[in-house]
Amino acid sequence: MRVQVIAADFIVSIKTWLRSKGTLFWTLAFPIMLILIFGAIFSGMGDVEYTLHVQDLDDSEMSRGFIEGLNSTGAIKIEIVEPEQNVSSYIDEKNIKRLIVIPKGYEETINKSFIDQNAIVNLSFYLDPSEQSSNQVVMSIVSSVIQSFNMKLSNGRNIVGIDEISTITEDFRFIDFFLPGMIGFTIMQTCVYGSIERNTKFRKDGILRKLLTTPITRTEWILSKMLFMLFLSFISTFLIILVGVLIYGVTVNINALMITTIIATSFLFSGMGMLIGRFVKEEETADTAGGAITFPMMFLAGTFFQLEMMPPFLQTFARVLPLYYVNESLRNAMIYMNQSEAILNTIAVLAFACVFFIAGVLLTKWKED
Amino acid sequence: MVEKKFKCPDCGKVASYSGMHGELKTIYCPYCGSKGRARLPELKHGDDLAIEVSDLRKEYGDLVAVNNISFSVKKGEIFAFLGPNGAGKTTTVEMIESIRQPTAGTIKLIGKNIKTHFNEVKKDIGVLPQEFLSFERLTVKETLVYFSKLYKKRADIDEIIEAMDLKSCEKMLYRNLSGGLKQRVGVAIALVNDPDIVFLDEPTTGLDPKARRDVWKVIANLRKKGKTVFLTTHYMEEAEYLADHIAIIHKGKIIAEGTLDELINRYGKGSLLRIKQCKTEGAVESLKEKGFTATYESNGDIAVKIDYKDIVLDVLSNLRHECIEYESIDVRRSNLEEIFLHLTGSKLSEEET
Repeated sequence: MRVQVIAADFIVSIKTWLRSKGTLFWTLAFPIMLILIFGAIFSGMGDVEYTLHVQDLDDSEMSRGFIEGLNSTGAIKIEIVEPEQNVSSYIDEKNIKRLIVIPKGYEETINKSFIDQNAIVNLSFYLDPSEQSSNQVVMSIVSSVIQSFNMKLSNGRNIVGIDEISTITEDFRFIDFFLPGMIGFTIMQTCVYGSIERNTKFRKDGILRKLLTTPITRTEWILSKMLFMLFLSFISTFLIILVGVLIYGVTVNINALMITTIIATSFLFSGMGMLIGRFVKEEETADTAGGAITFPMMFLAGTFFQLEMMPPFLQTFARVLPLYYVNESLRNAMIYMNQSEAILNTIAVLAFACVFFIAGVLLTKWKED
Repeated sequence: MVEKKFKCPDCGKVASYSGMHGELKTIYCPYCGSKGRARLPELKHGDDLAIEVSDLRKEYGDLVAVNNISFSVKKGEIFAFLGPNGAGKTTTVEMIESIRQPTAGTIKLIGKNIKTHFNEVKKDIGVLPQEFLSFERLTVKETLVYFSKLYKKRADIDEIIEAMDLKSCEKMLYRNLSGGLKQRVGVAIALVNDPDIVFLDEPTTGLDPKARRDVWKVIANLRKKGKTVFLTTHYMEEAEYLADHIAIIHKGKIIAEGTLDELINRYGKGSLLRIKQCKTEGAVESLKEKGFTATYESNGDIAVKIDYKDIVLDVLSNLRHECIEYESIDVRRSNLEEIFLHLTGSKLSEEET
């Protein structure tokens, strides 16, 4: 492998990119515009609302007061579950993500606590572990309501508690959710369409045939193009973060998991673009095929809104889409700081990247039939 | 030309001498001035060949695109592979360039089988693929520099720009060039590694006559530099103007091969004197009586075969003497179009449509 050849090809890619106003726009200005527009629209609409199911087995003044407290945050949409429902089967049947049970004797225990210092009542919090990031948010809201409840009742002594308490106490906004999604979406677009262009336009123009007769190897060429894709991915990421931080005050944590995800995402979608370019050889048709794959993925994989807003079958479908894991990985690594969840999603992205990139490299060919 | 090294028996230093194969030469040691005589090695079979193709075949399912063709190209000559679209020209040249995989057959470039040694010969060949378009947003010079960096052996880019007459547009973006200039840049790209063999696949297709002639000049100059040129074309005049050796391919098979003169002598009518709009009855019979080979053509003109150089004057004096009236005369040599017609029963230009 010759570094000089890779460098020469990389420089050509950069020059060509800088001189194409259209490509520059779609790579840089488009994601910035999207984040500005979506950020402005959704900032005006207020925060994201999460659904929380509540089963009140006590049906007392105090339990109703607690539910009212949750409702008044404005960030949680309360759905009441009838007391006679079996919680476990209800969760299964209705595909419930989060459910709190206020136990029978809730009010009695609180009243008793004024005499008995050891009297406490725990709420049961049922969580779908796959919804880790939104669970963290809801958990923190519920936790803050309980704290304020305890403060009113006993000046801070823990009378009411829940079994699972998150350490996250930040109040997340839509832009916090949207910014990582925007990064994943932009990398996907850049890499898929970049690969499609190389494999269709270069083939049509005879550049691939020409390169086949020169000493440059496929490995050197693919490596230089991957370097260029990484360069574009990091530039886009930097610009999106810059706008998010400067305009919307997003707190972003840059760490190894986030960088790993960005690198793996670039490989993943470059491989996907190679596969599209391999099987759909006409340039225009390949662009359409790229759109047909990336456009629905953008909407279905939780880029712009939470999965739980979609019907259950679409939520299941979303979980086979690679962009979903990219979004979740970036959100957990950059915003929610949930390392364990970020690691799991990063591993999923790495696995997708290996499959798509290796398949892309192996199936793409320069030789004609 | 061949070069051979020798070790001087007097001073022991190594020097070299050159000449034709088998030539006996007086040689001098450049270090000590000693004099001696030596013979350059005899030419072995195949040493003078740049390209050797044997029983080359390409099938696409039931379709046979190239049907067991064999030919060779000598070093330093311009070889034209002439045929209509779909005859198998590009398929053949792309198999020689290792862009396509042959179904069967052997291809050797500079004596090396490309099946096993293509990576070795890449440095010795330059290729202009059919309908090639380079990077739109690079200048002409940047394009040449990029392609030259892919090779270890590199020609001087400024020299190529000068030779291809591209100096005035070297800073222009490729996308802004005319079709003729793009083709010249394509030829220039094929030369960045100073190759021994240059493959040009239909380098003038789609160009206007002026641009076509400009590209021809560039190709003719390659011969002067000692390059072997493999040119595919469907333009007869291009092959006639440029080629030292011509192979005509039709429906995947080579139907004729040789120099232009050889092809004309073998398959053409030679040179003809045409007497146009002859209005005198019995003119052909009268000429035949005088020993000329004369015939009526389909349009009524009379064609007289030119067998010796003074025949034109003899025919003209005979026409005057016999008071044969006519409108005009012209002298025309057989061309490749006639040869193609003779060999296939259709015109090359008709096959195109």
